[in-house]
Formats: sequence, C-alpha cells, structure tokens
Amino acid sequence: MATTPVGDVDTFIAALGRRRASGEACPAREVANAAVTQIRAWGSSRALVAADPWLDELGVPAAITEAGIEVIRWPSDRTVRDLIGLDGPADTCGVTVPVLGVAQRGTVLLAPGPGHGRTIDVLSRFHLPIIPSGRIRPTLEAALIETFRSGGPTPSAVSLVSGPSRSSDIEKITTYGAHGALAEHAIVVTSTE
Amino acid sequence: MSEPAAPNVAYPEITGTLRERTAAAVADTELGGNLSRASASFHAGRQRMKDEQGFDGMRDRASAIRRSNIAKLPELIARLEENARAAGTTVVRASDGAEACRYIGELAAARGAKVIAKSKSMATEEIKLNEHLQDQGLKVIETDLGEWILQLAGQHPSHIIAPAVHLNKSQVRELFEAESGRPLPLDREALVAHARLRLREQFAAADIGISGVNMAVAETGTICVVENEGNGRLVTGLPRIHVAVMGIERVVENWEEAAHLLQVLPMAAIGDDAATYVNLITGPRREGEGDGPEELHLVILDGGRSVLRGTEFEEALACIRCGACLYACPMWRSVGGQAYGSPYSGPIGAVITPLLEGFNGKTSNELPFMSSLCGGCHEACPVGIPLHDLLVKARAVINAKPEQGATERRMFHLWATAWRNPVLYRLSVRAARLGMRVLGPRGWAKRAPGPGRHWTDERDLMTQWPPRP
Repeated sequence: MATTPVGDVDTFIAALGRRRASGEACPAREVANAAVTQIRAWGSSRALVAADPWLDELGVPAAITEAGIEVIRWPSDRTVRDLIGLDGPADTCGVTVPVLGVAQRGTVLLAPGPGHGRTIDVLSRFHLPIIPSGRIRPTLEAALIETFRSGGPTPSAVSLVSGPSRSSDIEKITTYGAHGALAEHAIVVTSTE
Repeated sequence: MSEPAAPNVAYPEITGTLRERTAAAVADTELGGNLSRASASFHAGRQRMKDEQGFDGMRDRASAIRRSNIAKLPELIARLEENARAAGTTVVRASDGAEACRYIGELAAARGAKVIAKSKSMATEEIKLNEHLQDQGLKVIETDLGEWILQLAGQHPSHIIAPAVHLNKSQVRELFEAESGRPLPLDREALVAHARLRLREQFAAADIGISGVNMAVAETGTICVVENEGNGRLVTGLPRIHVAVMGIERVVENWEEAAHLLQVLPMAAIGDDAATYVNLITGPRREGEGDGPEELHLVILDGGRSVLRGTEFEEALACIRCGACLYACPMWRSVGGQAYGSPYSGPIGAVITPLLEGFNGKTSNELPFMSSLCGGCHEACPVGIPLHDLLVKARAVINAKPEQGATERRMFHLWATAWRNPVLYRLSVRAARLGMRVLGPRGWAKRAPGPGRHWTDERDLMTQWPPRP
C-alpha cells in the first residue's frame, strides 16, 4: 500500500495566514504553554476542550486550568444556551483535535466521536485546533479520499474549517465572527505521532 | 432579551410588471451604488483566483464532471439514496415543491416542533417553504446574515450567494433597529455582532434545522453544506432534527469529483480558494456522540428538473449555484436581483425560472428577454454553461407559444419573405432610407410614436441604411 503523502507544515501555516488565521509549529513539550499563551491573548475565560486523551498526554487541559481558565470537557452536561454564550461566557475558546489538515489551503478537518463534537468550534468565540504534523496532507482531495475511503465506517459528520467565521453580506465587505469563531490559531505538534 | 418577532409573511408577492420593476431599479441610485461596489469586489476576487490559483484551468474538469453527473443522474440518485439510508438518513423524493413542503410540514407537526432555524437554501426559496411553515403557525428564522436581513425586509434574495447585496449598512441598521427596538451604531462590525447575538437565541431554541445542499456525494450518501458564517453548522448540528432539501441535480459521483467542485465553487462564488466551513454530513449522530441531530431527513426535490434531461436545456442542470453569472451580467448589474421577481435572478435565473415552471409562468416567461446576450455569463460560468444560447432557445420556445409574440412573429415572417426576393429587398432598403428622413437622429422625428416609443427611448437609430459594416 502506498504511503500517505504528508503535507508541509510551513505551507500549512502560511495558508492559515492567508485565511486570516494564524498558526505555529511546536514540539510536544511546548504545546501546553503555547495553548495557554494563545488563550490568554484572546482573553478567554473558558475553554471547551475535546476529550481526546492525546491532549491530556500533552498536558493541555491541566495547563489551561492552572492558568485560572475554566475548562469544560466535551461532551458537557451544560445547556446549549450556556455553551453558545447566552447563559455562559461569550468568550469561550474551543480546543479541537482535527483528524487531518490540508497544507494547500490551511484547512482542518474535524470529525465527531465520543470525545469530540460537531459544534465545538462554532459554539465558541475562538478556535484553537491542535494537530500532529503527521496528519497534514498536501491537498484537499488527498484528505477527503483518506477520510471517506479508509475502509472504516464513514464519519457521521466531517467539518472542513478554513479560518475564522466571516460574512460579506453587508456591502460585500468581509466581517469576521459572524456565527462561528472570530479568530483561529492552529498549533502543529511536530514531535509526536 | 426579547425574541425576534417572526414576520407574518416571509416574502411579498411580485408587484408591477417587469418593465415597472426594472425602471424603478434603474432609477434607484442607492441600489446602483450598492451593486457597483459589490460587482467591483467580486471581480477583484475573481481576477485574483485567475492569477494565483489557475482557476481557468480548473473549469474544464468542473464542466466535464457536471455533464457526467447529469448524464448518470438516475443511477447516481439511486446510489445516493441507498448509501444515505445505510447511514441512517431518511430519504424522501418529492416530485414538486408542494410535496416537499407537505412532507416537512407534516414532520414538524408530528415532532411537535415550534421553532425552525434555517441556513441559506435556494431550493427552499424556490418552493416557498418559509411561507408554508409559517402558515402552519411555526416560527421560521433565517440564520444566514444576508437571508435574515431579507426576512426582516420582506424581500426576495437579490443574489444566489449574496442575498442582501442590494442593501447598504444604513438600510441594514434600520432593519435591525426595527426588529430589536433599540438604537444601533452605523458600524458594520457592530451590526454583525448584533446579529450574532440575536440569532444565537434561535440556534439554542430551534427544534428543527433546515439547510440546503450544495452537493451530495453518491459514493457515501454524504451531503455537503458550504458556507462562511458557521450558521450552517449550528443549524445542522444543534437541533434534534435536521432536514436538508436538495435539487435532484446536485449529486456528484465520488470524492474526487466533490473535492474538485468544492474548490471551484468558492473560487467562482466569492473569489476565494476555500469557503470557511464545508459541512460533510453522512447521517444523524451516532451512539456515543455528544451532539448532532437525532434524525436527518434528506428531501430530494425534482420540481421540473428531470424532464430537462435529454432536451436542449439539459446543460442548465449542470449549474453549481455560484452566482458568478450574475456579476458578469450587465443587466443584473443595472437592476439587481429584486427586479427579476424570482429567487433565481441574473442569467441563470432567467433560464431556469421559466424552465422549472414549464414555460407556463407569465412573469417568468418575461425573464429570458432580460439579457443583452453579450455572452459574459458564459465566460464567467465555472462549468461552462452556454447561458446566452439557452436564453435564445428559451425565447424561441416562448415566442412559439400561440399566445405569445404573434405580432412580432408575423413581422419577422414578412421581413424574411421580403428579403428572399431581390426586388422586394431593394424596395425595402429604399423604404428604409426614406423612413430615416422621417424618423431617426437626422429625421423630422427623434422618437417613434405609440408602442415603438419605448424602443426609441432607449436606443439610437442608425444614421444610414444599410448600416456601415
């Protein structure tokens, strides 16, 4: 079987910049600090974090809690009104673990599972995807073929996310944070997987 | 915060004749400014895609994919249905809009739904789903920013992708202030933030989310909802029921095709190489998943599409609803989408509106004549639909109807007969020369009398006959 081509991390981060998002490459030991730094920069008081054991291995939820920021793990028993920012803080940061990334266009692919929701990033004001560098693919076609022809069950939902939420519905001028995240910063973990 | 009031009527009925609507649109200088700004922004993005992404080279493959899809339509729809059902989706085929509306209305009643949140969907505009559900007493809220603005304004979409492109921020502020009952700053970001907050109430309250479908992938039974705002994901992910409405022609065969079209679509539609969100949905939530709908219903709408296969209008089915032909059209740029009186405006709207109505709509049969036939729409189309040719063919069908254009038909018949005869041809040229002494820029009269007045009002007559080559 042919090896899956791996996309270039620098290309991925450059593409994020074109999408008015940002990104950084980080060795595993520095990821927790990088996540906290970014969440603080956004001024979030709460983080909605995917219950992916890999994030715990990286020490991300613990570091966020230690920084005095409330951590909610997915799935949560909080109400939708709370999570969406009506009855709870409106500055939540969603921390996700994409199943794949696309270097060509700075896209991350999110898929639901027991520890990951369909809506974490759009419920939140800010989006912090943390992705191993080995999951970045060069093109969208490569990423979609791998996702939907893996031989396993087709995921119930896959969300391609390319930067922050935007709308040009008023005077064709782009405005960010229409319904989903106002800002996105991806951390590419270079020394794992 | 008080809840937004649902308008009593979602969209108004068309008023006035096409001539009256276009004349009013041309006279509206505010509209003209709004459309000019929008077109300039679109063309800048499109040029960027051409220069940086090799967009022109991608069109040939996109065109081949869509023609192949249409050629295999029955087979692909059968595969889509089978694979979607295997993933837990309830699939319903609706032969027309009434059947689709009835199904969704009955579903809402059976589940005791009260609030419905919608993401942008041209198919539901086409079948007037909002009106149907509101007549049933349901609260229906559009959540795409542009569509919500229009719902508050009580207007049809002006553009397939940018529905409120004809309004400026001052007009939007007025609508938001009227809806919320409080003053708002004349600031685009503040207006967007206001809409975000108001509509979050609806996402949280909705019993059913209704979306359109940009394309559906037969290989896995997956529907694709493409958007930039994030409302599409909230609508498809939060309510306990998701209903997706797709035109039957929106199916593609496999993921190679889908990957290509998912890149071409935003390039053509917004001049960008990616939409912010592409939601690929294959069934309702699975066991152990913390969100997602418990039920997914896919309504596949025919609505006059299948009968177009194998006809001279088949290519219209290849459309991916990017709206590029609208910005390319000098007619649309002059009057905007409202004047068309159809959810689908511009060249593609002028073609498919009468087609979907079987050339039986008096109003829609006027639309193919709203074109200068410059061919700009063909050049702009990412899947190469010869829209200008289809417009001419549509005109021919309409003019061939016994009740349509009888006088015009007789005139052209007489003209053709005369010019086949050399003597009559020479006589007609002499008559035309004499006629120009009476009517024309150098004649006694500058305007034609009676019904010909409109023609001379907007055109310069030639100064010599035969005209110079």
